[in-house]
Amino acid sequence: MGTIIEAKEFSYTYPRRENQVLRNINFKVQEGEFIAIMGRNGAGKSTLSQALDGVIPHLHGGTVWGDIVVDGLNTQTASVADLAQKIGIVLEDPEAQLFTTRVDDEMAFGIENLCLPREEIIERITWATKVVRLEGYWDREPTALSGGQKQRCAIAATLAMKPKIMVLDEPTSQLDPIGTYEVFDVIRSLKEEYGMTILITTHKSEHIAEYADRVMVLENGQIEAFDTPQVIFRNAELLSHVAVRPPQVSSLAAYLNSYGQNIPRNEFPILLDEAEQMVRKLIGGK
Amino acid sequence: MSILDYHYGDSYVHKMDPRIKMILLVVLTIVVFMISNFYVLLGMFALVMLVWKTARLPLKNILRYMKFLLGLVAFLVTLQALFFSSGENPVILLHPIIPEAVPLIGGIGTIYLDGILFGLILGFRLLTLVSIMPVFVMTTTIGETALGLVKLGMNYKYAYMTTTALNLIPSLQDEAKIVMDAQKMRGFQVFETGKLMDKLKAYTTLAVPLVVGAMRRAQLMGVAMEARAFGVHKTRTYREVLHMRTIDIVSFVIVFLICVLMVVLNIMLGGWF
Repeated sequence: MGTIIEAKEFSYTYPRRENQVLRNINFKVQEGEFIAIMGRNGAGKSTLSQALDGVIPHLHGGTVWGDIVVDGLNTQTASVADLAQKIGIVLEDPEAQLFTTRVDDEMAFGIENLCLPREEIIERITWATKVVRLEGYWDREPTALSGGQKQRCAIAATLAMKPKIMVLDEPTSQLDPIGTYEVFDVIRSLKEEYGMTILITTHKSEHIAEYADRVMVLENGQIEAFDTPQVIFRNAELLSHVAVRPPQVSSLAAYLNSYGQNIPRNEFPILLDEAEQMVRKLIGGK
Repeated sequence: MSILDYHYGDSYVHKMDPRIKMILLVVLTIVVFMISNFYVLLGMFALVMLVWKTARLPLKNILRYMKFLLGLVAFLVTLQALFFSSGENPVILLHPIIPEAVPLIGGIGTIYLDGILFGLILGFRLLTLVSIMPVFVMTTTIGETALGLVKLGMNYKYAYMTTTALNLIPSLQDEAKIVMDAQKMRGFQVFETGKLMDKLKAYTTLAVPLVVGAMRRAQLMGVAMEARAFGVHKTRTYREVLHMRTIDIVSFVIVFLICVLMVVLNIMLGGWF
């Protein structure tokens, strides 16, 4: 597994703005990794995800310093369309990114642009439909789907183009818990069954703790930390500094400590199972 | 439900080749403009309503819009009744209140029978015209429309531009309703109880969020389309295939012949104006 995304001293300023939204970003992502990008609103999460697939600077303009190389393509020189075959993006707003009147039209749109033969188009959207579990919805209107179904439809539409990397910009921020669960479940199967590289920006710490290999914390346009969820979610000082909410089970451990318990920092649970074990231990190993 | 939204169904008109539907749309529109005999126009109107029935579309939708347009028709008739002047010997129902001799405003108060009839024909033509377009939009998906336009020789980028614009109208209508409801819930009642001038001013409070929202949406849609490689190649392929069936061609010929018949009837019976 080699490096699939590399950012070198990347900085960016929106057109007609003074301040740099992203500053001196350096990181490497390995093929097949699941990366979560976290940070407060305005920290540069969406900007970074749009920079990865070339929407920045190709569609928004602005000034760029440094480079981002995605699977051998430099995002500044390669066209958005060429990048689209390497890296797919799913946006936050489920409505705005669905622009056809049928689910199957939506899924076929991207690959039709790639001039694939008809048989392969049908084959691919059948596959993408199975991955996101939307069988039987082909003749539905995308706007009439539930929030979770809409996002899964958007994922399938991107997936049909068979990119190696999938970038999801707050895909669940407008969804209810069930929709959120459905979407995360699909994203996990993309990584586990199809070996895709996933980058996701989100505030949902519980899901990140469960699925992510590494968490990138952005603050004020810079990378504040980039490590495993265990390291990040147990670092209370860091989390309060960057206004990221730890998973509820970690908060529980901190809360118990404030009531006289003595749970070591590096044993703070971040998953529900771990919390269960911790509580069982506390009440006497039952 | 809007009359400019796709209406799910599996009627015969839904399954018709979009190219045939497009050509018929143009033919019907032109013929309606050519006809000026009231009875023939009535026949055209009946034909369009028959197509609505065949497509199993809810007639009450279009009737609601017609009720709304009746005000405009009444206005047209009144205007023509008072100011009709193109005929050589118009039939006069009432003599003018202001004598002809008075400069500028002389002759006002005359009611012309010909004007009333002319107004009626204009109004009826309008009602027929507004019923044609929805049949197409309600029975053809965006994808089919785009593919139809491409197969008729249009560049696919322009075809998608056209269909996206068409799709924008119903989504703007929905959005407008949401904004108005939100305003109502916060006690904004100008649209129900306000004076005319207040109502006109209140439209800015509706227009600003609508326009801003539409622009934001358009930008996001641009990003979403570009991210799915729209416009990479000069041509693109299509999953859907258009089938021109025999029954499509037969019905095209039938409707076309009826249209020709209408034009002939219009000439034989004589156009009214």
